[in-house]
Amino acid sequence: MDETTQKIKAFIVEEFMPDVPVEDLDDDFDLLTGGVVDSLGLLKVVAWLEDEFDIGVDDSELGPDSFRTVAAIKAYVDQARETAHAE
Amino acid sequence: MSQTAIRSLADHFAEQVRRQPDAPALIWDGAPVSYRELQQLAGSSFAELQDARLREDRPVGIRAKKSPEAIGLILACLRAGRSFLLPSVELAPETLAQLFAQAGTSQVLSPHGPRSESAASLRALVDDARAAPDAAGIEWPPVGGGEDVTFMLTTSGSTGLPKIVPLTASGVDAFTDWAAEQFEIEAGTVVANYAPLNFDLCLLDIWTTLKHGGTVAMVDQDRATQGAYLAELVNDNRVNVLQAVPMLYRLLIDVHREDWRTFPSVRHVISTGDKIPASSLAELPTLFPNARFYNLYGCTETNDSLIHEFVGLADGNVPSHVPVGQPIPGVIARLQQEDGTALEGAGTGEFVVWTPFQTRGYLKASLNDEKFVTLSENGGDGRIYYKSGDIVRRHEDGTLTLEGRSDFYVKVRGVRVSTQVVEQAIQEHPAVVEVAVIAVPDELAGARLHAHVRREVDAKLNSLILRQHCATRLARTEMPSMIEIVTEPLPKTSTGKVDRKAVAAALERSRANG
Repeated sequence: MDETTQKIKAFIVEEFMPDVPVEDLDDDFDLLTGGVVDSLGLLKVVAWLEDEFDIGVDDSELGPDSFRTVAAIKAYVDQARETAHAE
Repeated sequence: MSQTAIRSLADHFAEQVRRQPDAPALIWDGAPVSYRELQQLAGSSFAELQDARLREDRPVGIRAKKSPEAIGLILACLRAGRSFLLPSVELAPETLAQLFAQAGTSQVLSPHGPRSESAASLRALVDDARAAPDAAGIEWPPVGGGEDVTFMLTTSGSTGLPKIVPLTASGVDAFTDWAAEQFEIEAGTVVANYAPLNFDLCLLDIWTTLKHGGTVAMVDQDRATQGAYLAELVNDNRVNVLQAVPMLYRLLIDVHREDWRTFPSVRHVISTGDKIPASSLAELPTLFPNARFYNLYGCTETNDSLIHEFVGLADGNVPSHVPVGQPIPGVIARLQQEDGTALEGAGTGEFVVWTPFQTRGYLKASLNDEKFVTLSENGGDGRIYYKSGDIVRRHEDGTLTLEGRSDFYVKVRGVRVSTQVVEQAIQEHPAVVEVAVIAVPDELAGARLHAHVRREVDAKLNSLILRQHCATRLARTEMPSMIEIVTEPLPKTSTGKVDRKAVAAALERSRANG
């Protein structure tokens, strides 16, 4: 597991389901349908992403699909970093 | 002797005393009490009642824990043709006093006589309650009362003072005859009594049995959560009929897992008072190899109204949604939609019912307006129907299942959600023993759901596994925000149901402590 994915999982587990071992959380588990992250939780995730990875998240991008799974969040982070480097 | 007196429970009991004086009427603390001995207990209470020269037109109050003496006292009241209020002994003294005052009781009796210390001190409290300026006094005789009233039971009263439910002799008579026929209760039948004495369930397990000459094996209230004691009571006394809340079956299942004990004498296993989890249902045929299995649905106001027999449990035919059943013969039931019309076909509605066993109404008339109604479109049927407050779903095949209490509905992000539907979904996971779902007020969402889950000790279960399980069963608004998994038993009410209020209070405390 790469470092970014590991960090994201660790955060989500610690914040939303502290009773779950990190390795049990699959990359493609649907966090929204599973009720792990609701709209308030989503704001927490975004604030943490901005802080942790030093990226900006545009409110208009706050569609749920970008954050539905750990894999989606990782993809979002990777893309945001690339954009930041390119600038 | 008047027409009603001939049909009374007391006369049927007297007839059993004549027929089989030495047969055991009760088994208490491992020892039998014969019909003759019980008659003697009733006789001495009857004599005290006569000596006390109580007002003829007023009921008496009974404060009694379950015991042969308490049964004797009730038999004495029945014989004297007195109505009697029988509330839970676990209520606070002030609440008891208010209830006795509201019912206009002329005297509070306990099995050791009207002059016993507890009765006397309670008497003073009742007088205070009656003299209080805000006393909810009732014009006597009240609407629901009257000469033909025998038992006066109370509702569990989730809010405020419990409501007093007067039962007529004819209603009790009809019910005890139905129950005897349905569950084959006759001379020689042994019926276990699990519920406390003040519960409507006792009309089946104690009073039907004594009326028809059987034997009641009484569970001591102080040992009602001890599985080993309960298992011995069933087997030592060769119990034939078992009626209880799901908790009893759960306790027996735990005993069975320890030592593989089974209960071959039991012929009828009745679950009532709460929804039995499918995981418990699946195990029942192993515990009770010779039994038929039923769910009974009812309430104090109407007594039982629906019955379901589980067929094929032993072959793995376990319904995940436990049907509440179909109307007992003579019962008229319908599902009422929010606009007041009857639901035809599949869907959900409030369960509205008339039974041959029901009360005429609460003793306090002002409580009746919203609960006891006539149905305009049935115009001429002249019946008073009871609005149960239970939301029931009718499936395509006509099966009825309980969705929950209408008061368990909360709004989550503007959507109506039943916490009981959520509990049901979580309960379906095989590693879940019991669950309480609490709606926690939330500024943004209106309410957020908190699930407090007890898992099997040796099972692997965490919130993620449970969320995956629920994802296919629940809508997103129904998904709990918080899932807390524990292994200790959840707090229970005196009726053995999960005490959501206690869970909520504990949650509130832990939140307050950060």
